[in-house]
Amino acid sequence: MNTDTRETVLKVVDLGVSYGETPAIAQLDFEVKRGEFVAILGPSGCGKSSMLNVLSGLMAPTRGRVVVDGDELYLPRSKDPRLGYVFQAHRLLPWRTVRQNLEIVLGASDVPRDTWHARIDEILEILHIAEFKDAWPMRLSGGQRQRVSIARAILVDPSYILMDEPLSTLDEVTARSLRQELTGICQRTGATIVFVTHSIREAVYLADRIIILTRGPAQVFENYIVPLERPRDYDDARIAEVEADIVARVQAPWGLETVKERDVA
Amino acid sequence: MPDLPLSNPIMFHPARWKNWNAVVSGKLLGGVIAISSILLLWYVLSIAVKPWVPTPEDTVVAIWKNLLSTSFWGDFWLTLGRVMASFVTASIVGAAIGILIGMNEKAEAFLQPLLALALAVPDPVYIIFAILTFGTGETAGFVALTIAVSPFVSNIVRSSVQARDIGLDEMAKIYRLPKRVFFRQSLVPQLVPALLTAGRFAFALSWKLVVVVESIGQPDGIGASIFHSFRLLRMREVAATAIIFIVVMQLLERGVLGRIEKKLLKWRD
Ligand SMILES: Nc1ncnc2c1ncn2[C@@H]1O[C@H](COP(=O)(O)OP(=O)(O)OP(=O)(O)O)[C@@H](O)[C@H]1O
Ligand SMILES: [Mg+2]
Repeated sequence: MNTDTRETVLKVVDLGVSYGETPAIAQLDFEVKRGEFVAILGPSGCGKSSMLNVLSGLMAPTRGRVVVDGDELYLPRSKDPRLGYVFQAHRLLPWRTVRQNLEIVLGASDVPRDTWHARIDEILEILHIAEFKDAWPMRLSGGQRQRVSIARAILVDPSYILMDEPLSTLDEVTARSLRQELTGICQRTGATIVFVTHSIREAVYLADRIIILTRGPAQVFENYIVPLERPRDYDDARIAEVEADIVARVQAPWGLETVKERDVA
Repeated sequence: MPDLPLSNPIMFHPARWKNWNAVVSGKLLGGVIAISSILLLWYVLSIAVKPWVPTPEDTVVAIWKNLLSTSFWGDFWLTLGRVMASFVTASIVGAAIGILIGMNEKAEAFLQPLLALALAVPDPVYIIFAILTFGTGETAGFVALTIAVSPFVSNIVRSSVQARDIGLDEMAKIYRLPKRVFFRQSLVPQLVPALLTAGRFAFALSWKLVVVVESIGQPDGIGASIFHSFRLLRMREVAATAIIFIVVMQLLERGVLGRIEKKLLKWRD
């Protein structure tokens, strides 16, 4: 980590979230560098969605600081962060075409209007959905809609993109092809990504680094650097090895059975 | 209707067309039976309740006379104008209040009981109070109709606002869509089906109530004309005027509003 000269995009310091008296996040400290792909891995109910709400500017934390590109959020005078967000569901406006959906978020960004056209074309090209530019979202498949949602997130020049289990509602074949492309897309666009998932294998395949959380209320259990070069193969034995290594580490803190059944088998 | 491609062989199979013909003629037959039974019933009534229910053929003659008379059309356009004025105002005011209640908890706490009350008051009460307050001019009818109709619009719109997709609200917040853009692009399109239902309802209620308002408190218009004929016991004219008015209002309701609906919901296919 000391050798990493990239600038810090996101800094989370002593973050705590409680709902009333009930703590959801005990304490989180971590940083994300520009261009990094960070996966957040944690058992169900440990506070991942609560963390995303805080990182996305929607919910002030009970304690601690969130600094985005040098600006601290949730101060009386702080400005809203410029973010992308890929939700579990696509959350496109169904009564607007793909292009209109993208233009609506561009209209609220600082991207100059005369570059919109070229940008939209380029990003749709990268995501292999150029021919659906004028389609209604309802006419697209689930995977295509999620691609549009990813395009929307990248398009606005965000400091970072939050992804909340964006592939979990897709069938396995579609999820695989999107997973395969996601890393390439990040390299081509230089996007910084914070990717929340339940699946250890998905995290190993996609991420440069995995922030493993404890059971709720969450703390950082381990900052795990994925020791694999790119490009990676989802079915590679080495991915399975790293996965097994992580499973072994989290067995005790997460509670063994659930992990084995859901994510390894 | 499933999303069948145009080239779907089943769609163009002759057997399917025959099927269609059967459906159409079935509908037609049903319509013919319904109309003949109504006519029959009408005849029976016209004999049983002798002077008060006019015979169908007398009524047809009266309808024809009405259609050719300038005084009928004068009343008609006057009444249509009143219907449109209250309908448009009640729709806009009602929708605005509905959105306010649906979006804002404070507004809901304050306005929801008022809305419940407004929905419970029988319409003639508004009409009587408006006439007592404003006299028998145009204002009384306009105010009474608008107050009677807008709570229904508010109620339909409010429940649609509260049932909106919160996911899209969050999306709009994260991408920092300005309020104006959020309303136009996210909220209002979600309300379109409710707004259309409310619009239909408001229109139907307006044209039914306007006749009551005119007969109680206005010297002219379709309602006043019906009431006038009634006082002279000219039941043929009463029936003729009512029938023309009902038919035209139904056509407007189905034709115009139906067309708008199709256009606004085209993204659903
Ligand atoms: N709005 C809320 N009010 C009260 N408690 C909440 C609220 N949202 C979440 N919690 C609680 O906070 C804890 C963390 O919830 P959170 O949704 O952040 O977990 P998660 O890691 O996203 O879970 P999952 O993986 O199942 O999505 C849970 O115990 C949950 O019951
Ligand atoms: Mg969650």
